[in-house]
Amino acid sequence: MADGILLERAGLPAVSICTDPFALTARAMAKAYGFPGFEYVSIPHPVASLSEAEIQARVHGLLPDLLRILGVE
Amino acid sequence: MDPALTVDAAELRRAMEYYADQGWTDGLPVVPVTESYLAEFLAQTDRDPGDVLLPMPQLNRACTVRLAAINAALAGCRPEYFPVVLAAWESLAAEGYPVKGIWQSTTGTAPFLIVNGPVRDRIGLNSQGNVFGSGFRANATIGRAIRLGVLNAFGLRPHELDQATQGTPAKYTFCIAENEEESPWPALHTEFGLAAPDSAVTAMVIRSCVHIEARHTRVPEQLATDIAGTISRTGALIHETISAAVVLSPEHARLFSAAGWGKPDLRQFLFDHAVRTRAELAAAGKEAVSSRTRWRLPADHPDALPLAAEDGAIRVLNSPAAVLVVVAGAGNAGVSAVVETFGPRGGPRATSARTSVSRAESWSVRDAGSARIRPSKRPATAGVSTVSPRAAARTLSASTARGVSFRR
Repeated sequence: MADGILLERAGLPAVSICTDPFALTARAMAKAYGFPGFEYVSIPHPVASLSEAEIQARVHGLLPDLLRILGVE
Repeated sequence: MDPALTVDAAELRRAMEYYADQGWTDGLPVVPVTESYLAEFLAQTDRDPGDVLLPMPQLNRACTVRLAAINAALAGCRPEYFPVVLAAWESLAAEGYPVKGIWQSTTGTAPFLIVNGPVRDRIGLNSQGNVFGSGFRANATIGRAIRLGVLNAFGLRPHELDQATQGTPAKYTFCIAENEEESPWPALHTEFGLAAPDSAVTAMVIRSCVHIEARHTRVPEQLATDIAGTISRTGALIHETISAAVVLSPEHARLFSAAGWGKPDLRQFLFDHAVRTRAELAAAGKEAVSSRTRWRLPADHPDALPLAAEDGAIRVLNSPAAVLVVVAGAGNAGVSAVVETFGPRGGPRATSARTSVSRAESWSVRDAGSARIRPSKRPATAGVSTVSPRAAARTLSASTARGVSFRR
């Protein structure tokens, strides 16, 4: 979240990606950075133990959300 | 009844509940802190209340001397404990991992403080029986002072910025004194260049504390092998290598000493024998190492580095210096512990400031891994009002002649 917010503030479009159990922390971090409404993509947990194919499926699944937040038509 | 013990219990409970409602506690009641009480703590040091002890740049927050003092008072410390609390913060800052954000991690680490020198007796720090347990105000509240500082100065609360999956009971408090009197070896802080009459805190970040019960042997190699097997358990092997603080009971320490072993001998033995075979590691899916993170993973993982040709015992420590040896507990049984430290692995020590022999020069401004405790004679100043233990300043108090009052 911190990286996403700092990149946005530096003028570089960025979307943070977290897994669902990190929702509380994600919001707390955004608040700590003075950006409480910072929109991010939340995906199912876990990620660390996924295979390459499963990772790719996760990425495909989150793309529409990611593009929407970036404002890509 | 002693008139001095007559207080308005409802007022006390109101203060207690107020602090709990503000989210300023670890779940246990805290001691209300007024400006005048805070002044007693600040009088224990020459440092400026605004001095930063430990910055947390990623949160844009910092623990200052003043915040450390408020949280020490909240924790139930007596003012004369405060120099120890300050040294603990300094040592934790030098250790490095908290500044990098480890206290937000899912791993769920806690600070571990080891106190050496005359201050132990002066403030009643326990170094003997039940050294990890409860019952001693100085141990209980000095460790807790750090914990409350983490919660309040940085806002690292569970379910918010502290993402620990399970955490550790050590998060409430984990502060011991070395049992120098029953140790056959030089005190821990003298290993870092301090003199025995100095008082010092050596702080580190830990994951857990594992019990070793070994009353069965008088053979140093057998006991050391037992300890090595505990250090090298696969569950602790997240990364390629690990580090540890071995807390020996006086009986175990004397067993080694009687056989002619010094601390360096024990460290060398543990370095050589804290090993796993490739097959053992493979059975847990940890035989390879990630090319990116150096975390352990199975050999068929896409990030895995090719396995080395040798197939014998694989060391889990990078160097003997990755093990810290300290003596604590009662001299009544063969019970010791391996404290699994999160700190620097390998060449660097498991403890705070001195990260490696080769980089020792860069730490010359510090005494060493231990932070020296500095007393002060600055007089206390008067003043009355309730103070906030949080980094972000708030105005929430009204002063009264009685010292404590609260306004929402």
